[in-house]
Amino acid sequence: MTKSLHSVYLRTLMILMLLLPLPAFSQEDRIVVGSKNFMENKLLAEIFAQLIEARTNLSVERRLGLAGTQVCFEALRTGAIDLYPEYTGTGLVSILKQPPTGDPRTALNVVRAEFLQRWDLWWLNPLGFENAYALAVPRSRTAGIPLRTISDLVKIAPSLTGGFGYEFINRPDGLPGLEIRYGLAFQRVQAMQQSLKYQAAAAGEIDVLDVYTTDGRLAVYDFVVLEDDLHFFPPYEASGLIRGSTLAEHPELGAVLGLLTHAFDDKTMRHLNYRLQEGGEPPDVVARDALSALHLFTSDAAGTRPVSHQEGLFAYMWSKRTDLGGRIIEHLTLAGLALGLGILLAVPLGLLLERQQAIAEPVIRGIGLTQTIPSIALLAFMIPVFGIGMLPAVIALWMYSLFPIVRNTYSGLRDAAPQAVEAARALGMTEWQILHWVRLPLAAPVIMAGIRTAGVITVGTTTLAAFIGAGGLGVPIVAGLQMANTTVILSGALPAAALALVIDGVLGQVETWLRPRGV
Amino acid sequence: MKLPVMSVRGVSKEFGPGVRVLDHVDFEVVKGETLVLIGESGSGKTTLLRMFNGLTHPSSGDVRIHDKPVRIQDPINLRRRVGYVQQDAGLLPHWTVEENVGLVPLLLGWESEQRTSRVHALLNLVHLDPQQFRARYPIELSGGQRQRVAFARALAADPGIVLLDEPFGALDAITRHELQRQFLSLKQRLNKTMVMVTHDVDEALQLGDRIAVLKEGRLLQIGTPVDLLNAPVHDYVVQLLRHRSHGVFS
Repeated sequence: MTKSLHSVYLRTLMILMLLLPLPAFSQEDRIVVGSKNFMENKLLAEIFAQLIEARTNLSVERRLGLAGTQVCFEALRTGAIDLYPEYTGTGLVSILKQPPTGDPRTALNVVRAEFLQRWDLWWLNPLGFENAYALAVPRSRTAGIPLRTISDLVKIAPSLTGGFGYEFINRPDGLPGLEIRYGLAFQRVQAMQQSLKYQAAAAGEIDVLDVYTTDGRLAVYDFVVLEDDLHFFPPYEASGLIRGSTLAEHPELGAVLGLLTHAFDDKTMRHLNYRLQEGGEPPDVVARDALSALHLFTSDAAGTRPVSHQEGLFAYMWSKRTDLGGRIIEHLTLAGLALGLGILLAVPLGLLLERQQAIAEPVIRGIGLTQTIPSIALLAFMIPVFGIGMLPAVIALWMYSLFPIVRNTYSGLRDAAPQAVEAARALGMTEWQILHWVRLPLAAPVIMAGIRTAGVITVGTTTLAAFIGAGGLGVPIVAGLQMANTTVILSGALPAAALALVIDGVLGQVETWLRPRGV
Repeated sequence: MKLPVMSVRGVSKEFGPGVRVLDHVDFEVVKGETLVLIGESGSGKTTLLRMFNGLTHPSSGDVRIHDKPVRIQDPINLRRRVGYVQQDAGLLPHWTVEENVGLVPLLLGWESEQRTSRVHALLNLVHLDPQQFRARYPIELSGGQRQRVAFARALAADPGIVLLDEPFGALDAITRHELQRQFLSLKQRLNKTMVMVTHDVDEALQLGDRIAVLKEGRLLQIGTPVDLLNAPVHDYVVQLLRHRSHGVFS
């Protein structure tokens, strides 16, 4: 009997070890470039990154597609990234919480002074274009109506539906301020994902939408961009925002990035954005061309194929197999670390709770509350404390993995063959022997079922790690959402679903394997 | 007069205020006898049995084994020296018959060969062929076979005292009669001091040297089967005996 019991432990140990892949961390001297999760910002970050790579000896790590201004700024402030592209108006209103100003020069001076003094963060020279907010109306909706300015819009707004991005609806320099300045009131306001608005407007489902002045789609969709006749929208000059300590350590960065001063105008930017958004070209290719056009960079690109919307899904995935393979490894590393750490805490905790019945239910209910936090919110909570990247993602995923394992460990031990436990006690087994010889072997399949549930949840939730720059199969999903390209979305979603199925199958097999004979 | 092996003195048990399951119970069990505790569900008979190996303790009064209160004995050592059989056998489902029977010897640290030979002897004693049954798991046994294994397990370390909690209660009538018959012959050969709980009056009359009748936590009468039949001291005892089938003593 001792032999069979030992082999149960041995198996469990082996499985735990398999679930703990060892990540290779290397800390070299490098610049971390971040970006927000929209195309233009990613492109600018890619331009920064390639220029630094071409003109300095520094290596560059890219953390592109972080979820929004708050995440990016916190990442920069805490040193998780060194540099990212930002807009003066955003700095003024979203970060400094100051009232918008209509004058670009004042805006730049204010953010420069305040960021330097408060956080030792430097605004580089403007890149030369403004990506300001504007309101647009499909031309088909303007037939017979003189509609040129926002003031014109005010008159007919009560019969119109507005479709706006979540950020625009909430920012003081977005819809709320606009309503006050112009006395604007729509019949209905619909919150929409950035990339869906254009299609919705073209299909006539919404009448007015917020656009960025450099949006490439403005060249394709026949929209009237309304003039901001009361000068409400603050200037949104694009610039690099960089940590003072990074500049001090690598002064050459100031000179190199200075080469981009006033390098892009609105028209150039709209054209580059068009290639990204509608052409489906990856940011690194477009960035390389942009730098070549400025003679800052010699193009040696062999021409990465743009994503065609007609291309078959599997052909596309095959062409991306190296990238997807890397994403799968990232994905499994994140999920495996989170699950492994989850097991390390949750199984002993379940054992402890079985000995402390009085506190068991409250503790388990408390851990259950983590499941009610929306995953994207939990990931966002991690940023101020742990920065961005792998660490906060693993911690958030780890928190999600705890509940099913703790619950199953506890109830598996508690409910394991009560008559056998009673007999074991009556014949003189100590509580420790009962745990070791009776409860644990009998509860092993139940505990494993909890680990299996946690594994499937973790593999699914890991797709969200892309929002805080941790990589994984969420990266193509997020990119595909921004490009409104189903092929790209599926190239991430399909492997993620397949991984979940495989994990479920493998852990299900382990569950069977751990089931003691005779049960 | 033989020295009592076990004694129960002024034992009461309450589960919470006003929930009294035993009410000032007194009796003794002498060496080599089989005492049957009989009563309906809720009479307190199982609670009383569990006091002999310290699975539960009285609220007041005391239970002694060899004149030493159970309360002050090390429960683990005590339980390893007292056999125990429960209604549903309570075999460890993931252990073989051999492992189950060898449980207490294992706990007592016997050598492996010593355990094996003891297990084989006991399986023969309860009429199970060791070669056929030793490697089986409880799920591969019939109800009667499982109960035989439970008996063998209780006797494995040769305890002087065996406690039995409705050991035949879950069996069909034919298997029950067969096991009761074999129990009688074993009992005479082994000379153990036993306390058995049952609600079956035929079983009590057939297997008990003495019978203690419990009702709602009170001990109504204790005596030999003949005492109870000839001189019942309580209406309930009369009523209880009326439920027996005829021909028990034939």
